[in-house]
Amino acid sequence: MILEALEREGVEYIFGYPGGANLPIYQHLHEHPKLKHILVRHEQGAAHMADGYARASGKPGVVFATSGPGALNLVTGLCTAYMDSVPMIAITGQVNSTQVGRDAFQESDVIGATSSVTKHSYLVTKIDQLPRVVHEAFHIATTGRPGPVLIDVCKDVQQAEAERVTPEYLEIPGYKLNGHVNLDRARQAAQALGRAERPVILAGHGVLLSHAERELMQMAEAAAAPVGTTLLGIGAFPVKHPLSLHMTGFMGTGWCLKAVQNADVLMMVGMRVDDRVTAKLSEFAPNVKTFIHVDIDESEMGKNVRPHIELVADARLALEAMLPHVGKVEEHRDKWLAQIDAWREEHPLRYRHSNGQLQPQDVLIDMYRRAKSEAIVVADVGQNQIWAALWWNYDRPGLFINSGGSGTMGFALPAAIGAKFGRPDLPVWCVAGEGGFVMTAQELSVAVEHQLDVKIVLLNNFSLGMVRQFQDDFYGGVRSQVDLTHMPDFVKLCEAYGLPALRVEKFEDIAPSFDAAERTKGPFLIDFRIDPEANVYPIVPLGKGLNEFREAPEYA
Amino acid sequence: MLEVKPKPAVTAPTAKSKVRVLSLLVEDGPNMLTKVSGAVRRRGFHVRGISVGPSRQPGRSRITLEIDHGHAEADQVRKQLERLVEVLEVEDLTGNEMHSRELVVAKVAASELGALLERGARILSTSSDGTTVEFSGDADEVSDFVHELARHGIVDVVRSGPVVMRRTE
Repeated sequence: MILEALEREGVEYIFGYPGGANLPIYQHLHEHPKLKHILVRHEQGAAHMADGYARASGKPGVVFATSGPGALNLVTGLCTAYMDSVPMIAITGQVNSTQVGRDAFQESDVIGATSSVTKHSYLVTKIDQLPRVVHEAFHIATTGRPGPVLIDVCKDVQQAEAERVTPEYLEIPGYKLNGHVNLDRARQAAQALGRAERPVILAGHGVLLSHAERELMQMAEAAAAPVGTTLLGIGAFPVKHPLSLHMTGFMGTGWCLKAVQNADVLMMVGMRVDDRVTAKLSEFAPNVKTFIHVDIDESEMGKNVRPHIELVADARLALEAMLPHVGKVEEHRDKWLAQIDAWREEHPLRYRHSNGQLQPQDVLIDMYRRAKSEAIVVADVGQNQIWAALWWNYDRPGLFINSGGSGTMGFALPAAIGAKFGRPDLPVWCVAGEGGFVMTAQELSVAVEHQLDVKIVLLNNFSLGMVRQFQDDFYGGVRSQVDLTHMPDFVKLCEAYGLPALRVEKFEDIAPSFDAAERTKGPFLIDFRIDPEANVYPIVPLGKGLNEFREAPEYA
Repeated sequence: MLEVKPKPAVTAPTAKSKVRVLSLLVEDGPNMLTKVSGAVRRRGFHVRGISVGPSRQPGRSRITLEIDHGHAEADQVRKQLERLVEVLEVEDLTGNEMHSRELVVAKVAASELGALLERGARILSTSSDGTTVEFSGDADEVSDFVHELARHGIVDVVRSGPVVMRRTE
């Protein structure tokens, strides 16, 4: 019955792992050839694969796990999807409904354990609830602000026979969607932006989720307002556009941070305005007279920054409603844009490429030169993530996938595998540090089993680089528990898993290694032994305001 | 020595205090209370009073919550609760004219109960070791009543959370 319901929802892939409490589902899997099941090696991998699949394809990812440890292993993956508003359906097996609450074998309170990391969850104890629940779950996961929905299904329900019922309509009285735009406020917002002397637009993941990139561009151009994106908003606005500020936040570009700190009108679209964007909240954008906040989730309004004009609406509809009201743009605008260009000159992204060591930026620049905008980059968490965000010029949506809100190490490899299932037409590059990579490296088997064309770029610095950088800069230089010299030989590890790999230690070997990767069908790993002292810049010291960003030293 | 201070009386919340009074209509279900209380706890709010009971609609319950919203904006409590699919309606009654009633049931040792009965207490039962009375009123009245009880030798006392209804003339 579950499998039929999934077919009805148009599910293509299921990422899962069988066990005692979901065996009845697996028994009938072979009767549904339209549902392709990918057997993972750890349930966390399944959740990240479904996440990567959803982010790359735009369709909800589906996960199966058994009760107890199986379901609990999903928690990190659910949280990752929840924090980044990714649509996902997790179907977990639960012990028989008559055994619930008796501490049965592999019983755990999955609803209790996951309710803080899911958009909604269901415990299904009767077969007649099932068709409605599955249909509702897909609706809730994919509409409004998307998110993961968990369905915990008792084993006896999985085995029960029932008449096939197709739910025809949905009735979820407690589920409110904020669709329509308050036109008065849209006009006010547009006029404020048009009249501003120093406007800035910041765009988040919500712009990508509502496919508002075109409207954002029109808005930026009509208002002659520069646009920065959040880490998750990357791709919402082309980096090479003259109005682009690239990335904002505490590791954003210097010219973007200066623009934000000097703006008089700041419009934030489809974003949560979290601490990574504001840095020290009391010093965030101190010259702004009018904050405009557009988000589909009402609870984001005033959660961190109190807007003067709030629009609780879908980003695309809101921007569409604003566009006709921008009016004539304030003439001081040229001065503002010239000022931003001056800051761009003054604070360029730079790195050291003269100390004879392999620099991560060199690796990424070569990758970008090859892939341009025809590849998906899935980054892990840490320095590798920020380098991958800053050193590629993403000019289209959906090309950069990473765990922004949750910051889950180990995300990249399984998410890249999921992304490849979701977008088999595009090359997929996985960028990871060695620390995060080994957290979920067992999923290499999945890439090999399905001969997935996922190219893994390991930026190996033999340490937990971001933590090491924080310790160096903000914790008195005491390096504590960041040394990762005792790691596997990654080339041999790949050999053991059955995929080709190369080690690269010199700048000259970057290009040939990428040539080899591109020539090879199926998965491929390159272990780049990068400068262990390479750092992420710019960076705002912890607890400081955005204006206090530190830049890379001027290297000779 | 620890100095034991008497607990301050519960004051009726005003729009200025950090306490919000909310009336929720929720879908009944095994996870309903967990989800409501979880949403409150996760956001750093603190429950000062809660009462749950059936509503007029079958399958739906009415929850009255008194919540301290801490450092968050006052309206965050309502917004966070409205995100829950189980929650059908949230009405923020803070600062409104409303009927707010709490119930107290107490057993006292004294046999002279005139002062309690004068305040409106009702006798539920009498036995050799004391008398059990009930009293309802707003938070202040109930607190005053509990103070009064102390003079009668409290054997046991239980208090409910508030139930609240908007006052319409």
